[in-house]
Amino acid sequence: MTAVAVAPRSGWASSVLRLRAGDSLVSSWAAVGLFFLLTVFALAARAIAPFDAVQPTGGPRLGIMVQGHILGTDQVGRDLLSRILLGLQTSWLTALLIVAIGLFIGMVIGTTAGTFGGWVDTLLMRVTDMFLSLPSTLVAVAVAASLGPSLVNTVIAISIVWWPYYARIIRGEIRSWAARPHVEAARMAGVSWPRIMVKHLIPGVIPTAIVTASLDVGAVVLTLASLSFLGLGQPAPAPELGADTAKSLVELLSSWWIPVLPGVAVMILSLTANLAGDGIRKIFQAKG
Amino acid sequence: MSVAVLPEIAEAESPAGPLVAQLKGLVVSLERRGVRSEILHGVDLDIAKGEILGVVGQSGSGKSVLATTLLGLLPASSKPIIEGAALVGEVDMAHASEAVRRQVRREHLGAVFQNPMTSLNPTMRVGKQVAEAAWTKDAEEAITLMNRVAIPQPAERLSSFPHQLSGGLRQRVMVAMAIADNPDLIIADEPTTALDTTVQAQVLATLKGMRDTIGCSIILITHDLGVAAQVADRIAVIYSGSIVELGTSRQVLEEPQHEYTKGLLASRLTLTTKKPPSRAPKPVAEVDTTGMSAKAAQKALEQARAKLRRPIVEMVDLTCTFKVKGPAGRLVDLNALRGVTTRVYDGQSMAIVGESGSGKSTLLRAVAGLETKIGGDLIKPAQAEIQMVFQDAGASLTPWLRTESILRERLRGIGREQQDRMIAETLERVGLPQEIMHARPKEMSGGQCQRVALARATIIPPKVLLCDEPTSALDVTLAGIILNLIRDLQSELNMTVMFVTHDLAVARFVADRIAVMYLGRLVEVGPVEEVTRNPRHPYTRALLEAVPGAGIKLATVRGEAPSPVNPPTGCAYHPRCVFARPECAAGDIGTVLARVSDEQHGPLVHEVACPHYADLKPMEVVK
Repeated sequence: MTAVAVAPRSGWASSVLRLRAGDSLVSSWAAVGLFFLLTVFALAARAIAPFDAVQPTGGPRLGIMVQGHILGTDQVGRDLLSRILLGLQTSWLTALLIVAIGLFIGMVIGTTAGTFGGWVDTLLMRVTDMFLSLPSTLVAVAVAASLGPSLVNTVIAISIVWWPYYARIIRGEIRSWAARPHVEAARMAGVSWPRIMVKHLIPGVIPTAIVTASLDVGAVVLTLASLSFLGLGQPAPAPELGADTAKSLVELLSSWWIPVLPGVAVMILSLTANLAGDGIRKIFQAKG
Repeated sequence: MSVAVLPEIAEAESPAGPLVAQLKGLVVSLERRGVRSEILHGVDLDIAKGEILGVVGQSGSGKSVLATTLLGLLPASSKPIIEGAALVGEVDMAHASEAVRRQVRREHLGAVFQNPMTSLNPTMRVGKQVAEAAWTKDAEEAITLMNRVAIPQPAERLSSFPHQLSGGLRQRVMVAMAIADNPDLIIADEPTTALDTTVQAQVLATLKGMRDTIGCSIILITHDLGVAAQVADRIAVIYSGSIVELGTSRQVLEEPQHEYTKGLLASRLTLTTKKPPSRAPKPVAEVDTTGMSAKAAQKALEQARAKLRRPIVEMVDLTCTFKVKGPAGRLVDLNALRGVTTRVYDGQSMAIVGESGSGKSTLLRAVAGLETKIGGDLIKPAQAEIQMVFQDAGASLTPWLRTESILRERLRGIGREQQDRMIAETLERVGLPQEIMHARPKEMSGGQCQRVALARATIIPPKVLLCDEPTSALDVTLAGIILNLIRDLQSELNMTVMFVTHDLAVARFVADRIAVMYLGRLVEVGPVEEVTRNPRHPYTRALLEAVPGAGIKLATVRGEAPSPVNPPTGCAYHPRCVFARPECAAGDIGTVLARVSDEQHGPLVHEVACPHYADLKPMEVVK
């Protein structure tokens, strides 16, 4: 996995939470609320956006709050707010999709390996290790090179390197649950293996899976942004937060808002995901 | 605060002689998860020089808080608020400064806790830890201390790490550390609960010996009245934070005043507990043949005999071998079962008794079909006809499933209405309210969890019910109730029961036959009264002597069970056997059960593996 993926996820985010609200769960729920709010924003981006995001709708490099463009316009005169909203839609929903795909594959592989152990476990985990060793950027480049840069290909590329992470965590959790007497008790009660997996093992993994996944959304957002920064995301002129920052870097000294604001949007997405992940973990902990 | 001691037993309230410690109106309240509750409600207690005071109570009674307060070790995170005083000598451990408390702990107190593995430093050699407790670096001093607590070959053990010692030896190391520096008072909190009964008796004897040799006082905190009775001079019974009874051990055991103590005594299982009549098929001698012709009588007798001896589970030379990490990190064979041959008869209950490592649980798991790496022959009913109840009932129930789903899982393929009816019936049969259907394991008590586990096992009555120490994690009063329930279920549903336990008193209560296991082999099998009243194998005798209870002398067995990885040759018991002869170490002596010859021909045979059983003197049971 790239450096982006293993970047610290929760350390400072959780200390911000502690500073603000002590041990109370109010902040945790607030962070989870923010997560859903962001999702609603992303889904409704097209309706909220004041202008077309692809066509120029004003003069180039308009400042903030000039001619009705709340965040100004970019170097070709496209409304920056609309581009950020639609870029946010792409980043956020894609990140959720990638995490969901990773979680699904990881759940299937991890549960199978963890439940049966033995050679099944060895085989599945070695395959997992193989995928885990692939650098996501390189895979993305390879996929983009062979299939052409597109959103679908980005999703495929990141998913390929993302699921092994979940598979490992879930396999470990499953193994610790499987060692508990309740699984043997279920076997003695005549419960079939598929049912043991679904009813007696997987529910125990769900809290960990949800916490890991929600913390991970931020990392996927960052990975997506870095890939699109490198030009491996959707082709222009589709709005993409990473690509927008990259293409307007030359404007940094003259019109700072053009490269900075999409970057700030990435930061907000990633921060929200981390705070929500921490919040969910705390809520689970409090529930015991 | 109110004085909890009853006035009529006041004469035993104060011990003779000077006091080493004194609790005066001790009220302790602690905060847990933001909720403050009062744990001790005004405890008065005097501990005289050189006496052993047993403090007996069930879990949650506050007995451990009492010990911790006296040690001055209540964690600050629980925000203790303490009224009254906990005096050690002149110092109030409840209110003195940390520096003073530390000094008192160092100079006047010693402590032994339940789990020596967590009390000892796992990264430090035991010799160094013992020496450190004595404020010296001198290995000789450590050896002297370890000698005093009867650790064999102390010089060689000095350089061992705690994990390399057996449970009993670790606890002895704790005792050695506690007596270093000649304390005035040793506080022992459940020091033997994690140990096998034979080892428990040894450690108790060691503790008692410490009092006799160095003259210290001991506060022995335990949930087991029998353990306290074995060594204590006086017993204080503590119930939900108050001392409800205080007197000499004899007084408390023979003339208990408080209802709670009476209940505790009544629910305790001993080797003399009256047990309800077995409803297993009648012994042949009791078959009524009056008024029959000789031939008919003969036939009836044979039928009865056949019925009695119809095996439902049969093991022939059953073996089970695990691969475990050996000392050098390589995989070595652990022979958990080394050729077990016996039968379990239809409708009877058989108890399998042994210490940890004897293979008793493996035997049960093999019958359950949970162990697959077995050799030899095992004849048993179909898998669906075998059900099992586990030791830790709470952990044997899936944490997120409600009782209802847990029970319904065994009823798949049955109509919903009939399921509902069966669930209602079963819950009633095991004595649970119908509302428990909607409870998850965490919301239920230990006893309720075990009842739900029994309900699951018997909702469709199996032919064979396997029980793996189902009561060892429960309080005494509860254990008795659950054992009675198992007996009732057995006769009501006509099941065969195989019951694993380390406690012969429990085995005697539930079983018709007892099988005693040692290091993967059966050493004695026979009808329950025969085995408990007239044990033939030296090991069975040692187990019987170790059953805690007033009146039976402390055990004669030596040492602890060796590792099953490398069992002794010949009769595996010979290194510990007080009757061992040189030839016991060789060949296959003591490995095969043989019928006891000097016994009248009963319907159930009594078998023993020791070839010298006839030479042993009859065991004395001191009443």
